[in-house]
Amino acid sequence: MKRFLIYFGAFVILSFYFILTIFVLPSEFLMTEQLVPEPTFQAVLSDSKITLGDSFRLDIVSVNTGDYADIHIVSVAFPDLIKTDDVVKIATYDFTLSPSYIYVDEEIGSKYSGGVETTFAQYPSIEAMSRPLKPDVPTHFDIVVTPKELGLFNIYVKSIGIPHTSSISHYPYSGVLDHQNEYVQVYSVTVNP
Amino acid sequence: MTISTSNPSETFLKNKSKFIFLIGSIFTSLGILLVTVGGSWDITNHLLSKPESFFSPPHALMYSGVAISLTGVVLSFIGWRNLQKFKDSYFLSLKIKLIGIGLLTGAGPLDFIWHSYFGLDGLLSPPHFTLITGMFLCSVGGMIGISKYLKFNNSQSVMKYLLILAVIPVWLSASGIISSLSLPFSSTDFFQFNPEPTIAFIIASLAYPFLISLSLTLIFRLSNYQFGMLSILGGLFLLIYSSTAIVPNFAMFDTVQFYALNLIPFVISDIFLKLNRSKLSRFFVGGLLGSVFYMTYYPYVMYTYNEILLGKLVSPSLIYFVYFELIQTVMIYTIIPAIIMGILGVIISGKLSKKILMN
Repeated sequence: MKRFLIYFGAFVILSFYFILTIFVLPSEFLMTEQLVPEPTFQAVLSDSKITLGDSFRLDIVSVNTGDYADIHIVSVAFPDLIKTDDVVKIATYDFTLSPSYIYVDEEIGSKYSGGVETTFAQYPSIEAMSRPLKPDVPTHFDIVVTPKELGLFNIYVKSIGIPHTSSISHYPYSGVLDHQNEYVQVYSVTVNP
Repeated sequence: MTISTSNPSETFLKNKSKFIFLIGSIFTSLGILLVTVGGSWDITNHLLSKPESFFSPPHALMYSGVAISLTGVVLSFIGWRNLQKFKDSYFLSLKIKLIGIGLLTGAGPLDFIWHSYFGLDGLLSPPHFTLITGMFLCSVGGMIGISKYLKFNNSQSVMKYLLILAVIPVWLSASGIISSLSLPFSSTDFFQFNPEPTIAFIIASLAYPFLISLSLTLIFRLSNYQFGMLSILGGLFLLIYSSTAIVPNFAMFDTVQFYALNLIPFVISDIFLKLNRSKLSRFFVGGLLGSVFYMTYYPYVMYTYNEILLGKLVSPSLIYFVYFELIQTVMIYTIIPAIIMGILGVIISGKLSKKILMN
């Protein structure tokens, strides 16, 4: 009888364990709020017009105003270039990971999917990344650009927070879409002869 | 008058040779335990991208572990060379330890060369696999040495708790081998060593349940069916995993309560085997232990199943969301093979324990 009671008790506890670990606790944890990082940035151009051969500077200060971000990204792309060599130089950089250079035709993530959906880069870009980034910590990414062609020189800037759990987990929220189908702020400088 | 030709140190070595061999085996196992704990902690730090230098605490733990293991193997060799009895019986343990420590120490320079040519490597790479294999062999050698000593010396129950130190590094290092063959953490700029997702799915679903059951029922047999050993070993495994893989990630801290529940199947298995050691009871325990592998290997096992079932991007704060999103689906797919592999673990542990304890 005593043995039967022990077995019975053990089976009850085991059933309790399986119900709790497979059904009850997962539902509870899935209902908890996910972190929502809110990246934002301010970018300042040193000049709006330059002479061919001169350089201009783009200073970007980025901050996460939302929850803790696993990854905080600032991407700077150059739609008028094929290569960044000799044209773009990094002046200031205080992100925790080294900058990542993305070349034309490289497979890259798209639609804020973090690599689940991909596309191919149509122009070069540089990604700055901090892993992780606590709220309200400013990060700096400044570049010096020396265009080699006359005309309008465009730079696309965007910031993304991961986990990308909301429409405010990227910045800007609307406007021009880039080759990754993600919103960018456009900064332009006229290069005169 | 007889004049002794041996000096006092030789006499000491001969008298204490078995004990020196035991200490060597304990050091070998303890060293590997430190390496595996440091390794698990290091993986978590990498996933969290915590800034680290060579002198990070996980690295300190790992390198201390290698040094302790090396000392252990040297002591084992000294002990074995001076053994008067059972020299052949202890040789298997020594042989495995020597091969293991050779691989373990050789993996260091190999890793340096690999890094010099190919930059950072992932979880699975030739130097890392050499390292993990070396760890596994050292821990197996340590386990055999400790088990044989306890058997030959008819050791008391307190000494039997050394078996926990003997088996836990084997369990952890074997887990490392399975993880490196199934987790998608091995893609680098130079090499794509990530396992094919379907093969990784099969490896994880079969090997983890087998290993849990094998490790826990092996200690039960090696300790001559001592009640409590299975629970302590299982509890220690959970403690190590929770402190190295869950607690360091602040986003997962609350899930420690979920993970702690996994002690229940271990304690119940212990009680079942205490009450009844029949084949049916042993198979039930094996099946039970195999069936809880997805919970026991929380959280990283999720990455293997996510690859094939969801394909989501998993950043550190999303680990438990994806894990819990998958749990029911994974259980549906894996429960039957996991139970079968758990039962197989019981059968193999029976054969292994006989071989280990053979004179």
